[in-house]
Amino acid sequence: MTLFLQELVNGITTGAIYALIALGYTMVYGIIELLNFAHGDIFMIGTFVCVSIFAAFGITLSSSPPTGLALVGVLLVTLLGSMAVCAVLGVVIERFAYRPLRNAPRLAPLISAIGVSLILEDVAKLWKGINFITVPQIFPQIFYHIGPITISSINILVIVVAVVLMIALQWLVTRTRTGRAMRAVAQDREAAALMGVNVNRIIAITFFIGAGLAGAAGLIWDLQYGTTIFYLGFTLGLFAFTAAVLGGIGNIVGAMLGGVLIGVIEALATLIPDSNNGGIGLPHGGAPWHEAIIFIVLILILVFRPSGLLGQRTPEKV
Amino acid sequence: MSIANTLVPARDTRALLIKWIVGLLVPIAVFTFVWSGEAIINNALLSLLGTGNVALGISLFIQLAIFILILYATVIALAGYLVAADSGQRGMIALWIDILVFVLVPLLLVITQGLIIGLALCAIVWPLFFLVRRRFAKALHYTPPQPLQNLQILDAEQRAELMSRGIMGGFWFSVALAVVWLVADLIFYITGTLPTILLILAVIRTLILPVAGYFLGRLGGVIALRRTLAQKDNGNGESSTDRAGRRISKRRQLQELSTSHKREEARDLVPNDLPLRSTGAQRFYLILIVAFILFYPVIDPFLFSFGTDGRLAGYGDAGYYVILALGLNIVVGFAGLLDLGYVAFFAIGSYAWGIIGSTQLTNLLSLPPINPHLLSALFWPMIIGAALIAAFFGVLLGLPTLRLRGDYLAIVTLGFGEIVPIVFLELDKYTNGANGIVGVYSPAFPGANWLSATPYYYLILGLIVLTIFVNIRLRDSRLGRAWIAIREDEIAAASSGINLRNTKLLAFGAGAFFSGIAGAYHAAKLGGVSPDNFSLGDSIIFLAMVVIGGIGSIPGVIVGALAVYSINLFLLAQLDTLAADPSNPLFAVHNAIASVFPGFTFGNIRNLIFGVLLVVIMIFRPEGLIPSARRRRELHAAADEQVEVGALDVVPGAPGFEDEVRI
Amino acid sequence: MSVEQASEHSGGPLLELNKVTKYFGGLAAVQDLDLQVWPREIVSVIGPNGAGKTTVFNLITCLYRPTSGDIRLAERTLVGLSPDNVVRRGIARTFQNIRLFNNMTVLENVLVGQHTQLKANILGAVFHPPHVVHEEDEARRRAIELLSFFGSELIERQEEYVINLSYADKRRVEIARALASNPRLLLLDEPTAGMNEAETLEAVKYVRRLRDELRLTILLIEHKLTVTMGISDRISVLDYGRKIAEGLPEEVRRNEKVIEAYLGKGAKAEEQESVE
Repeated sequence: MTLFLQELVNGITTGAIYALIALGYTMVYGIIELLNFAHGDIFMIGTFVCVSIFAAFGITLSSSPPTGLALVGVLLVTLLGSMAVCAVLGVVIERFAYRPLRNAPRLAPLISAIGVSLILEDVAKLWKGINFITVPQIFPQIFYHIGPITISSINILVIVVAVVLMIALQWLVTRTRTGRAMRAVAQDREAAALMGVNVNRIIAITFFIGAGLAGAAGLIWDLQYGTTIFYLGFTLGLFAFTAAVLGGIGNIVGAMLGGVLIGVIEALATLIPDSNNGGIGLPHGGAPWHEAIIFIVLILILVFRPSGLLGQRTPEKV
Repeated sequence: MSIANTLVPARDTRALLIKWIVGLLVPIAVFTFVWSGEAIINNALLSLLGTGNVALGISLFIQLAIFILILYATVIALAGYLVAADSGQRGMIALWIDILVFVLVPLLLVITQGLIIGLALCAIVWPLFFLVRRRFAKALHYTPPQPLQNLQILDAEQRAELMSRGIMGGFWFSVALAVVWLVADLIFYITGTLPTILLILAVIRTLILPVAGYFLGRLGGVIALRRTLAQKDNGNGESSTDRAGRRISKRRQLQELSTSHKREEARDLVPNDLPLRSTGAQRFYLILIVAFILFYPVIDPFLFSFGTDGRLAGYGDAGYYVILALGLNIVVGFAGLLDLGYVAFFAIGSYAWGIIGSTQLTNLLSLPPINPHLLSALFWPMIIGAALIAAFFGVLLGLPTLRLRGDYLAIVTLGFGEIVPIVFLELDKYTNGANGIVGVYSPAFPGANWLSATPYYYLILGLIVLTIFVNIRLRDSRLGRAWIAIREDEIAAASSGINLRNTKLLAFGAGAFFSGIAGAYHAAKLGGVSPDNFSLGDSIIFLAMVVIGGIGSIPGVIVGALAVYSINLFLLAQLDTLAADPSNPLFAVHNAIASVFPGFTFGNIRNLIFGVLLVVIMIFRPEGLIPSARRRRELHAAADEQVEVGALDVVPGAPGFEDEVRI
Repeated sequence: MSVEQASEHSGGPLLELNKVTKYFGGLAAVQDLDLQVWPREIVSVIGPNGAGKTTVFNLITCLYRPTSGDIRLAERTLVGLSPDNVVRRGIARTFQNIRLFNNMTVLENVLVGQHTQLKANILGAVFHPPHVVHEEDEARRRAIELLSFFGSELIERQEEYVINLSYADKRRVEIARALASNPRLLLLDEPTAGMNEAETLEAVKYVRRLRDELRLTILLIEHKLTVTMGISDRISVLDYGRKIAEGLPEEVRRNEKVIEAYLGKGAKAEEQESVE
């Protein structure tokens, strides 16, 4: 039971990160019906940017981490820096790799997205090499014990950052003019254009925000897991996409919910016993199968409930 | 007709003769003297005579002899055909420039840079040439003559003229060739590089060639005549002008009313404005290409000197990429189902042979070991066996995807592409997990040494021919049309009576079938199977092959597969070796980049190059390198018209209509 | 109805919709629709935009499943079939927004239409036994024959990709494709949409020929009232998913509810005048 609850905590933490990334997927898919394969790699670039910003502050593996106000300052700057770089990257990608293909048959932007993903991964390879990169741990790790489970301060930070950003996004989408315009374009691009909405700008803004959130996810990933590598984005991106679909593509709250659920499923998967030891379970236990398990979840959703848990977009006109 | 009449050219024929003899003589001379035509022949002859430094077995000698005979005979006959078929409208210079760019330049590039890099450079040179030529044509306000006006009917006298032209073409070409060759050999003899005996043989050759030229030119003339329009048939009112006066059905008549049919005919018929591109000439090219491919293992040592086995092994690998690309082309190209997990079926095919064709199965079932020779013989039925197993899983994994739209389909197939290697990795009780299965048997074939690369080369060649054949049959069938209909418009397809479910599953199955073939071959050639042979990145590469080559186009994906393979495994590795050489300009380039990005190698940026290629091609030439005629029209028309999204094209998950549409 | 048609009424109606209702979420697209089409009739379904006409077609061809009600072709129910089986039962349709296979030639489009009439399977495709070769030959011959219904122009362009055709030609190819499946009932969704007067007249002519020469039964959605009045044996009028009128063209034209639905209440008097 303890193990279960502990994994639950871990799962929620990871899930928060997935949720942030999933938001980018769901927003972009909602607005131009494109699966942005490169989105996960934008997140990965975010993790890299954070490491570089840390280095710029003189924070390395061997140096002692900053404290107090300096720490807050560093975190803030890194957060904003990572978000900014990723946001700009997202807009640039949209402008050059997706916009020319907006009227092309559906295969074309998808393939272009795959191309962009490949480019980003190799750029990352060139930037920081092919090996795992260890991130300096700058946030003080304090363990709180609540009953049988342990929560670390980093877990709390991750969840707090994620929640704050998600609330901000929800506010943006529901309470501002831009948010209204985004929802309008998502529902009916032509009608929105006729209403005077600058569709290109709104799409660019969507990418900006989505990628920015991925950048934030990059920072909290670095803080929580302390390690990154050039191919991190691809698989994690797919998990995040699964989360978006689980929650209901195009639905922001759904993406958050889906993210947490996927994180929990992934964490709980490690508890599956090893069938090689006799008894039920999976060979070598659940851990090496977690990717497969998440994909099976995705397939099951798409087969049985393609609209996801909370999914709804208003029906298109006849 | 007396000999004199047939052989002495009239004034107007003289120009034609000069045009074509020079045009063809230069490339063949380059092949013979600069490359290895001469070397091949001389070595073959010397080994026949028992002297010389290259000892060839009888079988090798015979193969070389056949190749040489086919090569020169085809070229001479081609000369005859071209002289006979040419209508004379296009000028000499234009033709020579064309031959220079499309025959000579590739020849020289391949000679100096090797086959792969040479062809790759051609792929850059040719589009440039097209661009330049188009600019020139615009600047000079050049309009080519209308081909359709050329459908003349020839009377008996004109046909005789044609025939004599063919004979003259063949005869004088071979005379020119013989003379040039003799002169060259004399020079070699005087400088001491040619043994006396070969000079004697050269003289004999000089006498034989013109005679052969006469008959081969006649052959060329006959082929040209077959492609002329004959007189109207007076027998019954039904038939109209057709070849050799055969009756044609009413359907053919109706068909022949179509204008594009007329255009096809113009390319086919003689006299022809562009005989080099005519379908008659294409037969000759086909013979040359087939001879080259068939006899390649024998002539490679002469063409490219050492390293034959390595090259052949590389081509053997490229071969299974071609089969994979063709298989994926069925799913993505014909049926329009974006499959990003194709590597899964490749893995299944490989493991199928890997488990059965080794001691793995007998170990698992605790049976006594089976005679390896018996198991090896099992390879041949297992090619089909592995293919069927892969096809079964193709259908199985296709089932959940039936109602999904493009992007979702892609993701789900991607998921399968991830899951299957994991399954093979983790079920190590059956698959040996990360260590993989070793000692997989090669196929059994009497007399073939499966430790060398040559048998695998022929094996994959045969499999490729089979695959192409089946693919063409599929494409032009009722099923093929159903696939393309689904790709174009699922709802219209269903409303035309096509069962979407079964047709899609057939596409998955057929596509997976071919990956099973490739998988079995791969396991046998590698001698083992392990999960790290198959990664997600491979699926992307397979997709890139299809996309870059031309979605849905059979020649396109073949070229795409070869292009991607060579970039992937060949070009980049070569670039790295070249860059290691300080005298090469790439050395400086490499160092410059490495100073900014430590750890840079050309091999490392492979995915970068692919990624850029994919994006660029999608934006500028989405139909691929060699598009199917269809695709080109679609993708450039869609840019102009508004692509209409029908009322029934709804995202999955939008309640209301999507859930309602029952397809 | 002509004498001919009356004599074929010995059986029941060819197509029968019985209290068909279709809800999309909370929206009723079609409510309680009763419709009958007798053999060799030309029946038009008209009504203002959004009245649910195309939904009716989609229900008949089983692209949608009715929320309640029954649809029968020659006494056998269609509900629950897959769209391709509906074609096999003998119903073919065209679409309002012409859905041709853009990357196929004219001939190939019609060949696809023959899908249900051909039998070759995947093995036949690969091994090409004589009966498959013969079947393909016959199919091509029949396709050309179908195209010849419209004269020789389409035959001359049989190898052209349909994307290059004029709008009117595309319509014809779509109809030829529909005819290729040997239907008993042909559903034409706004066959004269986007056509000018001359083209419309021609379209009316060939719709009549379809019924007369090919002995088809035709159900038509049409917006142009002149076309409807001129060509239909009977007319059904829908508004907001319900049938508000039905009958002979002259009756429908004068029907108050119909005029109101199209033009609003105030126009009723005007319309009466202009019609007389």
